[in-house]
Amino acid sequence: MCGIIGYAGDGRDREVLDVLLTGLSGLEYRGYDSAGIALSDEAISVYKSEGELENLESLLDGQEIPSVPVGIGHTRWSTHGPPSDRNAHPHADCEKQVAVVHNGIIENYEPLREELAADGHTFYSETDTEVVPHLIEHYLDEGLDPESAFRTAVSRLEGSYALAAVFEGSETIHATRQDSPLVLGLSEGGTYLASDVPAFIEYTDRVIYLEDGQFAALTDDEIVVTDAEGTVLEPPVERVEWDAEDAGKSGYDHYMLKEINEQPRSLRQCLRGRVDELEGSVTIEELAGLPTPKRVQFVACGTSYHAALYGELTLRERGVQAQTFMASEYDRSSVPIDDGTLVIGVTQSGETADTLRALRQAGRAGATTVAVTNVVGSSAARECDYTMYIRAGPEIGVAATKTFASQQTALTLLADAIEDGERRELLGALRDLPDHVQSILDSSPAKEIAAEYEDAGAYFFIGRGYNYPVALEGALKMKEITYKHAEGFAAGELKHGPLALVTGETPIFAVVTGDDERATKTIGNVKEVEARSAPVIAVTDGQSDVERYADHVLSIPETHGRVGPILANVQLQLVSYWLANRLGRSIDKPRNLAKSVTVE
Amino acid sequence: MDSLPAVVLAAGEGKRLRPLTHHRPKPMLPAANKPILAYVFDGLIEAGVSDITVVVGYGRSRVQDHFGPTYRNVPLTYVVQEKQLGSGHALLSVEDRFDGPFLVVYGDQILDSRIIGDVIEATGEGAVTLGVLDHNRVEHYGGVIMDNGRVVDLVERPTDERKYRLNAGVYGLNPRIFEAIRNAEPRDGEHSLIDALSWLVDTEAEVRGTLTEGLWVDATYPWDLLEVTRDLIQAGVVGESREGRIDDTASVHDTAVIRDPVVIGADAEVGPGAVLGPYTCLGENVTVGSGAVVEGSVLDSDTRVEPNATLIECVTGQGVHIGAATTVPGGPGDVRIGNRVFERERLGALFAARAHVGGGATFVPGAMVGPDATVRAGARVEGTIAGETEVR
Repeated sequence: MCGIIGYAGDGRDREVLDVLLTGLSGLEYRGYDSAGIALSDEAISVYKSEGELENLESLLDGQEIPSVPVGIGHTRWSTHGPPSDRNAHPHADCEKQVAVVHNGIIENYEPLREELAADGHTFYSETDTEVVPHLIEHYLDEGLDPESAFRTAVSRLEGSYALAAVFEGSETIHATRQDSPLVLGLSEGGTYLASDVPAFIEYTDRVIYLEDGQFAALTDDEIVVTDAEGTVLEPPVERVEWDAEDAGKSGYDHYMLKEINEQPRSLRQCLRGRVDELEGSVTIEELAGLPTPKRVQFVACGTSYHAALYGELTLRERGVQAQTFMASEYDRSSVPIDDGTLVIGVTQSGETADTLRALRQAGRAGATTVAVTNVVGSSAARECDYTMYIRAGPEIGVAATKTFASQQTALTLLADAIEDGERRELLGALRDLPDHVQSILDSSPAKEIAAEYEDAGAYFFIGRGYNYPVALEGALKMKEITYKHAEGFAAGELKHGPLALVTGETPIFAVVTGDDERATKTIGNVKEVEARSAPVIAVTDGQSDVERYADHVLSIPETHGRVGPILANVQLQLVSYWLANRLGRSIDKPRNLAKSVTVE
Repeated sequence: MDSLPAVVLAAGEGKRLRPLTHHRPKPMLPAANKPILAYVFDGLIEAGVSDITVVVGYGRSRVQDHFGPTYRNVPLTYVVQEKQLGSGHALLSVEDRFDGPFLVVYGDQILDSRIIGDVIEATGEGAVTLGVLDHNRVEHYGGVIMDNGRVVDLVERPTDERKYRLNAGVYGLNPRIFEAIRNAEPRDGEHSLIDALSWLVDTEAEVRGTLTEGLWVDATYPWDLLEVTRDLIQAGVVGESREGRIDDTASVHDTAVIRDPVVIGADAEVGPGAVLGPYTCLGENVTVGSGAVVEGSVLDSDTRVEPNATLIECVTGQGVHIGAATTVPGGPGDVRIGNRVFERERLGALFAARAHVGGGATFVPGAMVGPDATVRAGARVEGTIAGETEVR
């Protein structure tokens, strides 16, 4: 998982170095265990450093940096070889004729490396990527020009890649992609390439989404896109709507808190134009013509998986056969798929490799595929039969917050589009949702509760029905950003094992909404842990009497049973945030994690 | 000067506007569907300001969430005033940012770019410059006595007969102001910017007033929002045509009646047979059920009005629920705030954020319902209802 950036400009308007560093900071969410850049003019200069972007910046500080026409940059999240200066990109060939940045995995790098090493090439890093510049060098040495050498080298690669290369003495960047994201940008002041739009959104909103197998040659004044055979193509130039302002922290210490606080707005965007309460209708334009499925399968990872579990329940409640799979397990289990199956991939970035793989498999087996994603033009959006956007806006914090709320909301609407059900109260509750979230943000005691329990060794989260995915997500958030041990359980499962771990030192977050049989049973489970003198924090809408058994209460407004879990999760996001804040954790960039995981 | 960096003071609650300021500061109260602060930013940007520092404090996340890191492509730098100890104290929190002239405006008074532009133009290296206006209600605001372009006296809510001009609250300052803030005597523990300016006047520093003109609107009490809205609509700042005043994403039923002028925000829904206006604003995501009448009222975002309710001269906070067939016949009425009674104000009723009114309730003119309060179906409400209480 990495991010790449490239810029071809003649230095007229802005320095290549500045564009690359700005771009890398916009891509840091994609990985941050090392970063590097290559500047190319008559010769290629490479600068790289282990650690966050700041390390690279301080390395550059005080050095004489040449003003050059083109450059490429990379921010890395390790897959092959530990994070180190040596393994950081860009990588160069033996003679420094070419420098390459790469996002993805070269699956056949071992035989290539052996072949090249036998040929006399010396490798400096342990990365798969380094075979690419040496392979290009090999073809340059055979007398090919840079573009042909690049194309010929790429034709020998297997795996997934977004690649960009600069050559000494050349003012062109050559790039291509296969199963890894790459977007191109056009402006008066030069041309850009990046793994994701935020890298260059400050300079332009005119973009071209490169397709798998296409090549691009970027120069100061144009981008030439060609297919594998070299035929010049005219890809559409699109305007992206995300503006640069979405990339700042707007006065907050962390993106995560900014994004938690943005939820009322992102939910409004998710619902906009889709819900008409007075007419009692739900309209999802992107899904017009979606066939009625015989069964539905969700595939997703991490937080998106929890949203998918929620989606499964909303469909099952309406009598639709639905199942959720962890995307990484999907291909190994023999899942029945036929042309009556609808497979819904839930992926924030639209680039999650496990989910893409599962969706591709399902599509090949005849299923209709739907992507539920946040990123316009992402691989999932382009490859699936249908795409529903959750419209949460860019999320920079690695721990997903607002996108989870928007995924749940979008899946509720999607369930309605698949199968009619009771609607009037639900639509009213959805329209009240942004304000209900705001009311939690206005008055949550999460900060005080976090202070009270910051020393605990483990945190358990329990819930039943719709609140079970909330418990799982609450625990995941806690793990991700506090590095504390946390587990989410179906409330009824506690007594079948995990209860053995519960002591007076194990705070239990119990999510209890409504006043039905599920609530009553969960309260029974709360009593079980209370008897072991565990502190109980109830997340509740106050309809049941769970408050009587709780040490603390995180209140949520009373609403529709399907909407309550979205609200309950907001309280748990805040608890995790404030606990991590007290512990001084790297909240926006927790150790070992990356925002969108484009490796399997 | 051609342009100046600007400081916007948006950290104070605006206590006299309670209970509307529950969880949010006065700059975030809506005026014709936009926060007051947005008009201030607009005025600055239209006057050519491209460097804006916002001092935030009370309810600061509301400001930050709404405006984000930039507004109309101008970067916003947020500085936090942890304790709100007056406008002068607020300004001290940005002391380290300036070593030359800068502009200061209040984030809770609406003013147009002409006033700001005139002050920027008149500001020089040495002197302090105040924007002043001719205004017929100076006694409610800040008064300035001028002599030959120089400010000789500053009086808050003046009651004497001298010829006062209105202090427009736009100041071209220089770093000497920080010394003045420190030297001026605090009142009730608060450091006011006005006291600091008076200190400068008293020490015979050059404080100049520049006479300017343009739209200048301030809300002091909650019911003033109705008049502010009227002023803004009449000044034409909200949109010249009906279409321009109704957001594209709002849905208004064909059989609803719009009596112009009416402003309708994003995602709002208006049901069949509803009658809106004149001078009514529906905020974002407001729902007006079938047959409801909403006249001369300002409904803030996420407010829900059930069928056949009648609301005349009402102000609501966010997320208010008005039950079916609720009746608010409109002002004038006596409004009680603490021990003070404001007689014959034009206020039908005021509902603070997330107040919940059951069906068929009636409201005596001037009624005020606090945040999260509940009014049961069929109740008759008079006077002031505290927050989180229940009226049967």
